[in-house]
Amino acid sequence: MSYETQGFKLDDSGKRVVVDPVTRIEGHMRVEVNLDSQNVIRNAVSTGTMWRGLEVILKGRDPRDAWAFTERICGVCTGTHALTSVRAVENALGIQIPENANTIRNIMQLTLQAHDHLVHFYHLHALDWVDVVSALKADPKATAELAQGISSWGMSSTGYFRDLQNRLQKFVESGQLGPFMNGYWGNPAYKLPAEANLMAVAHYLQALDFQKEIVKIHTIFGGKNPHPNWLVGGVPCPINVHDTGAVGAINMERLNLVSSIIDQTIEFIDKVYIPDLLAIASFYKDWLYGGGLSSQCVLSYGDIPDKANDYSAANLMLPRGAITGGDLSRIQEVDLADPEQIQEFVDHSWYTYPDGVKGLHPYDGVTNAKFELGPKLKGTKTNIQEIDEGGKYSWIKAPRWRGHAMEVGPLARYIIGYAQNKAEFKEPVEKVLKTLDVPVTALFSTLGRTAARGLEASWAAHKMRYFMDKLMANIKAGDSSTANVEKWDPKSWPATARGVGFTEAPRGALGHWLTIKDGRIDNYQAIVPTTWNGSPRDAQGQIGAFEASLMNTPLAVANQPLEILRTLHSFDPCLACSTH
Amino acid sequence: METFYEVLRRQGITRRSFMKFCSLTATSLGLGSAFTGKIAHALETKPRTPVLWMHGLECTCCSESFIRSAHPLAQDVVLSMLSLDYDDTLMASAGADAQAILEEIQQKYKGNYILAVEGNPPLNEDGMFCITAGKPFVEELKRVASDAKMVIAWGACASYGCVQAAKPNPTQATPIHKVITDKPIVRVPGCPPIAEVMTAVVTYMLTFDRLPELDRTGRPKMFYGQRIHDKCYRRPHFDAGQFVEQWDDEGARKGYCLYKVGCKGPTTYNACSTVRWNEGVSFPIGSGHGCIGCSEDGFWDKGSFYDRLTSIHQFGIESNADQVGGTVAAVAGTAVAVHAGLTALKRSRVDHDKEFPVREGGNGQWGK
Amino acid sequence: MLQYGERQDAARSATVKSIYVYEAPVRLWHWVNALAITVLAVTGYFIGSPLPTMSGEASDHFVMGYIRFAHFAAGYVVAIGLLVRIYWAFVGNAYARELFLPPFFTGQWWRELLHEIRWYAFLAPYPLKYAGHNPLAQLMMFMFFVVGVVFMIVTGFALYGEGLGQGSWADTMFGWVIPLFGQSQDVHTWHHLGMWAMATFVILHVYAAIREDVASRQSLVSTMVSGFRMFKD
Ligand code: HEM
Ligand code: HEM
Ligand code: NFV
Ligand code: SF4
Ligand code: SF4
Ligand code: F3S
Ligand SMILES: [Mg+2]
Repeated sequence: MSYETQGFKLDDSGKRVVVDPVTRIEGHMRVEVNLDSQNVIRNAVSTGTMWRGLEVILKGRDPRDAWAFTERICGVCTGTHALTSVRAVENALGIQIPENANTIRNIMQLTLQAHDHLVHFYHLHALDWVDVVSALKADPKATAELAQGISSWGMSSTGYFRDLQNRLQKFVESGQLGPFMNGYWGNPAYKLPAEANLMAVAHYLQALDFQKEIVKIHTIFGGKNPHPNWLVGGVPCPINVHDTGAVGAINMERLNLVSSIIDQTIEFIDKVYIPDLLAIASFYKDWLYGGGLSSQCVLSYGDIPDKANDYSAANLMLPRGAITGGDLSRIQEVDLADPEQIQEFVDHSWYTYPDGVKGLHPYDGVTNAKFELGPKLKGTKTNIQEIDEGGKYSWIKAPRWRGHAMEVGPLARYIIGYAQNKAEFKEPVEKVLKTLDVPVTALFSTLGRTAARGLEASWAAHKMRYFMDKLMANIKAGDSSTANVEKWDPKSWPATARGVGFTEAPRGALGHWLTIKDGRIDNYQAIVPTTWNGSPRDAQGQIGAFEASLMNTPLAVANQPLEILRTLHSFDPCLACSTH
Repeated sequence: METFYEVLRRQGITRRSFMKFCSLTATSLGLGSAFTGKIAHALETKPRTPVLWMHGLECTCCSESFIRSAHPLAQDVVLSMLSLDYDDTLMASAGADAQAILEEIQQKYKGNYILAVEGNPPLNEDGMFCITAGKPFVEELKRVASDAKMVIAWGACASYGCVQAAKPNPTQATPIHKVITDKPIVRVPGCPPIAEVMTAVVTYMLTFDRLPELDRTGRPKMFYGQRIHDKCYRRPHFDAGQFVEQWDDEGARKGYCLYKVGCKGPTTYNACSTVRWNEGVSFPIGSGHGCIGCSEDGFWDKGSFYDRLTSIHQFGIESNADQVGGTVAAVAGTAVAVHAGLTALKRSRVDHDKEFPVREGGNGQWGK
Repeated sequence: MLQYGERQDAARSATVKSIYVYEAPVRLWHWVNALAITVLAVTGYFIGSPLPTMSGEASDHFVMGYIRFAHFAAGYVVAIGLLVRIYWAFVGNAYARELFLPPFFTGQWWRELLHEIRWYAFLAPYPLKYAGHNPLAQLMMFMFFVVGVVFMIVTGFALYGEGLGQGSWADTMFGWVIPLFGQSQDVHTWHHLGMWAMATFVILHVYAAIREDVASRQSLVSTMVSGFRMFKD
């Protein structure tokens, strides 16, 4: 069967290749592609292969507890669901939060952005670009020169790289390759010279050690990471910098610790992550596959409200808007409460809607699981060999914005920010394009997605500094309030209420919609970044961002899914999130 | 990369204290000093124990927590102390190439690898709420467990079911001990568990080649033997009766006890108040929020995290012990009042049945 | 049979019969136990819902500490008291055994129980005469008090064992209760519910005792004081 959609020609006649599990992502996912005789992908099918039923579980619960449940949707983007949830409840009940609470929440959200992007780049994505085994052939001296040439980061002496190489040598010789076992080492799609590989391996390990420092900010304000604590109406950590008992609250020592971690984070990202990103990209700038929907339809809700309680686009530091049909000159307004804009479909998802219902706005959303496979399935119900994308084939629902499948995430945010002419997004993009000497269209690619994430990590780290200074200034001005408890007691709530909360999670636009009845959750619906990106087809056959991005990509070696992983990873898929 | 010994050396441990460590190990295993040399030799040369880390229904926060470990560093655990041969979140290979590793290790190291499980298998829909390689995860879990030497249940998911098993548990998410019934399992609960507790449990198992001492419910006594409340630094305020009555009140700013805003520290076994989180930086209570009991069985279904008293679902609408019991007592009180009133109305003096003899002799009388 | 009221005057003249029922240890136990349980219920309630916050230095106060101490002390009193009371059931008079051994397998007892229920429902004209407990009282005492207090002791010491620590005597003897209920929080909940069950028993029990004492022609409260039951007809 072959047909055209969104400018892609789908053709499932070629050889079917299955990748299950897709690894180095969060959660469980499967992808199937058809290759033509040139090993070019002509059909792509992505399947979310897990479902836990959080929306069902949330029914009837206390809305003030919802943050803890939804936070457990994901431990990788930990905290972002919790923030979205408390915002949704506050929106429903009309709760205003103190300025400090907003600032602390922003610092926590930015901490997540910086951390999640860093871990993704080094530990989930790098092995798609970096050949670990090739690093054994590197000349430590040349590696040191390379490293020193691109950054003033300290750990870059010849001796350091030699030691590391020796360690690596012994590791490989032990015959126990651990996580690097059965990797695609030596695949011709790897382009880095040995020295760059060695440098990247060094930073893989350094980043692993460093990432645990960043999250300490969550620990200070939220008590732990993963899964820090949140509060409807503010933040749970009180501020006390002057008085007795300050040691039991956010005090000068705690603030200093946050501040010093922010400085280290900025330094690591700007001196290690960004230079590595540019160095690696410079060897791959001819490999511009994977753009998918990014040149057509992108969506961002915006986030990081500068001042508390104002969620209008003007007050949001991350851009808000939608682009469809590739028209960058027309940024469309996004309204999460408008029933015409966001709708979810389940034609190809393992759910059912009441008879005759096609799409549902999340305020009226229904989550009714039903596992059934299409007639052309190869295999059995419990042993799927080839899935039938003509039938239902994923635990992910299919969200659409005004009928369009959309890409969300750092690239979407940067495209929208760029199109809005916002200097803080446009300038760094242009700098990268110039450094790599590629046209602006290069942005619409796997590499563009990976680059946008790096730029955003840096942006987030610097914004942490901005909010830290703001927090200090506010405390200095005599405001230490962190929670508004006026509507803490459910008796103060109306009999029914509904609200929506949103954030820009590391992976993209995130929304939670809830309705409250008699103090309890009546309906809770989440549409998550990976729900957008990992969306299966809809009734019109429109494909989602993952599927679109794989289209027309050639594989260097047909039975090694390196390029498939590379492009999928550029979205940083999170399956626990996507299906929840 | 390095052997266990080399890792210790790199961490600044001398040969002398390494040997001391080995002799301690020998003694605590009840082996006597003759074995010190053998243990040292093993730690210096033996292949790293393969660990297969499988994921079921979960949120990956246990993995995220694990990589936060500061002592030992996660990189040392993963690359030098054990051999993390399978972990779909970190491994380089994918698809069939990844699945082949499971098979290879299972055969090559039959009975000698550790299975670590994060998350749990759902049983509804024939297990297809969690699919790996086209099949129900539960099948893979049982297969890989069958030749494991020991099993680690990471987090509340693997140990108890956690959030996806909260009512009404639509997928029938099931703790792993219900499907792996013939292997020693150590439960390391928490949502997630503390990083250093996770790596300590693993290093303990590698060092002593056995499970740690477990409590009645299969948790290592060394970290789960006491409640948060037993070693909470706010405990003096609890004893004094000084509580946070409302968020951000004076008590909150002074660090009073969080009992009245729902702290579950008194009923939660974990090391948070001692080991603390993220290299000892803080823990939930240390940052002003009560413990939500995340390392306890079924902590999602005990009512609001902000209520001191548990919700009781058995009585139809949710209510707590005071509401249920208070109602019963009030009904009894009212019944008594009504009865007393009726008694007064009907008669002023109560006589006994004249014909009936006094039953004397306590219980002995019956049956006569 | 005579109707109520018709024979009052005749009855007045009847001789007073008195029987020694409750020996001193039983009486002493009863009042100590009643006091201890009152203390447990009050302190237990405040453990569940503490008093408003004390101001000032933590080291100046020990409110929760004292409340909990009183609870545990009274808990020991109840537990040891029960053991002593059980001992007395073996060595004391026949009435000392009634509390623990309702004759569930005796038809006559069930018939008289029914009669007693009818009497309380104003359906039977007279109650029957018992030197010890009447069947209904006996059933209540057993089901509410004996079962209840054992439940409270077992759950109470299981919780107490958590504080004493793993390996302590209380943990060794009663620690198994905690996983049986699920987790510690569940034991708290059931222990707390148990308090209300006890409170309900006490309300009914005290009512019945005083009602009979005031209205009937036999002694009740004074029996628990002096040990003698008096029948005035
Ligand atoms: C916490 C409070 C109390 C508890 C738990 C309690 C418990 C008991 C128990 C277990 C018995 C049976 C004794 C035996 O057979 O060994 C009993 C008997 C009795 N109690 Fe109490 N009691 C309480 C308070 C009171 C009070 C306040 C009164 C008086 C107003 C009272 C009056 C009596 C009387 C009169 C008997 C003897 C009943 C009879 O003759 O059948 N009790 N009580
Ligand atoms: C009639 C007898 C008893 C009554 C009415 C009673 C009542 C209560 C109540 C209402 C609570 C609060 C539960 C909660 O909400 O967490 C409590 C807690 C407790 N009780 Fe009892 N109790 C009784 C007997 C005992 C006994 C015999 C012991 C044994 C020592 C005991 C030990 C405890 C302990 C350790 C706690 C927990 C204290 C804490 O969490 O700080 N109780 N009791
Ligand atoms: N998709 C997703 Fe998340 C993110 N970022 C959620 O909102 O990762 Ni688990
Ligand atoms: S136990 Fe909690 S933290 Fe661990 S995977 Fe499950 S939900 Fe996440
Ligand atoms: S804050 Fe929680 S754990 Fe700490 S003393 Fe109070 S109740 Fe106990
Ligand atoms: S909520 Fe969990 S993290 Fe520790 S303090 Fe309580 S067990
Ligand atoms: Mg949803």
